[in-house]
Amino acid sequence: MNKKEETITPPGDDFSIRCLKLGHQIFFSYCLHENNKLPCFKILDCWHTYFQVEKYLKETLTQNDWEEAFKKPRKPKILTLVELIEQAKKSKKQEES
Amino acid sequence: MKTKKIVLSESELPRQWYNIQADLPTPLEPPLNPATKQPISPEDLAPIFPMPLIEQEVSQKRWIDIPEEVLEKYLIWRPSPLYRAYNLEKYLDTPARIYFKNEGVSPAGSHKPNTAIPQAYYNKISGTKKIYTETGAGQWGSALSFSCALFGLECKVFMVKISFNQKPYRRIMMETWGATCVASPSNETNAGRAILANDPNCPGSLGMAISEAIECAATEEDAKYSLGSVLNHVMLHQTVNGLECQKQMKIAGDYPDIIIGCSGGGSNFAGMILPFVRDKIDGKDIDIIGSEPTSCPTMTKGPFAYDFGDTAQMTPLLAMHTLGHNFVPEAIHAGGLRYHGMAPIISHLLVNDLIRAEAIPQLETFNAGIIFAKTEGFISAPETNHAIALTIREALKAKEEGKEKVILFNWSGHGLVDMGAYEAYLNGKLSNHALEDDKIQKALVDIELLPKPKQFRK
Repeated sequence: MNKKEETITPPGDDFSIRCLKLGHQIFFSYCLHENNKLPCFKILDCWHTYFQVEKYLKETLTQNDWEEAFKKPRKPKILTLVELIEQAKKSKKQEES
Repeated sequence: MKTKKIVLSESELPRQWYNIQADLPTPLEPPLNPATKQPISPEDLAPIFPMPLIEQEVSQKRWIDIPEEVLEKYLIWRPSPLYRAYNLEKYLDTPARIYFKNEGVSPAGSHKPNTAIPQAYYNKISGTKKIYTETGAGQWGSALSFSCALFGLECKVFMVKISFNQKPYRRIMMETWGATCVASPSNETNAGRAILANDPNCPGSLGMAISEAIECAATEEDAKYSLGSVLNHVMLHQTVNGLECQKQMKIAGDYPDIIIGCSGGGSNFAGMILPFVRDKIDGKDIDIIGSEPTSCPTMTKGPFAYDFGDTAQMTPLLAMHTLGHNFVPEAIHAGGLRYHGMAPIISHLLVNDLIRAEAIPQLETFNAGIIFAKTEGFISAPETNHAIALTIREALKAKEEGKEKVILFNWSGHGLVDMGAYEAYLNGKLSNHALEDDKIQKALVDIELLPKPKQFRK
């Protein structure tokens, strides 16, 4: 007989860990929506020692959201800056026209 | 009486920053502009950075003069003292000699003004009137606010909303120095308005705050942007710390066997180690260790399990899924020293085996911070506790081995605005979740068998 699967409950807002990006304590529910409602790309990395975060997210995220959150290669910071400059210029142009 | 701290005179403040790029065994590969496939050019960055900083970003000159105006401002707190941690040594009963460099003596309480001051200066002489930046907990935002005040520049800080609400004292520090601090996402930018339209209660993120700051800097006349970590010129400015340290260690009559720093975005770590990395390249035997959170210890313990996802060799591919392992997340990007928020210079030193990384669990870091406060007196920033925890590990190892190791670590900032984290620790709120040590150990055994990616093949 198969062992009954345990439901995974993530830590509540009464438990926090240090966020490498923000520099202060943060709770899981924030990390879960940090990236425009998708999980922070570091969520697996930061939370895996506390509970089965990967399994939990695989059960709760759609395949698309999973891929959007974790499968995209990260860019060096300087490239992000260049892209943001381009976006800002475009947005200003649109505003002016 | 034994000498507790070594204080350099003002005349001994270093007159030049050290640029590691001149001495790297292999050069840093320039990141490519995704649109043109060409290396990022100065023109690409000119909308947000003044030209002197862009020049420093790509400079290969070994030594770069520190302008007089910057030296004058540095003198407010520099040279910073180097301490011998006698009380900690006694508490640990270790034969190790432990030194720490106190970078918490700056007005903003951390190492961050080492680069905020020159960044404000170069903006000032380039005609910038206003600097935009983003901040999380506010350490960088407060350092830049302080520096802009000294040079008569306007400063506006987009502070991640959740941090804005959690860290009011940092916000007040920024305002005291005359900066404007806005919760991000805000209604002041197109980026912010778009986010709020979609989610009015959005708690914000660093990415959103960066978008807002860049939008303002790139589109307003006489405005620029400033970043407190990651970039090469930031690492360059921070070397004033390590250069002082070299003079102070000489006065102490010691030379470090082990150098330790915490390695968030890399800037305090780089500032301490880069001048010593030069010594290491020249043949000195030093173990240089970046201490990071136990985000994923398999990253620090098993880097050979990864390949890189880009030509700059900073973003590893997703190697772990081939293991079929149910513990190590298949899509983990990279931990600590390899994650994309880490300075390329630090990642490069890691790839070249000039430094290494160790992961420390949260509880161990706070425990170390408490030991340090009770022995040496100073209450450390939680990041700094990572360096203390690793120092304690190494000092105990020296005791076990009966070796008189010399350990130097960077005490990068005080924790007086972080007492909430200490309160959580002292009230046992951080101790209810046991670490899954058995699983971590199993994962480490698994990755021992993996082949080295090409960057590591000798």
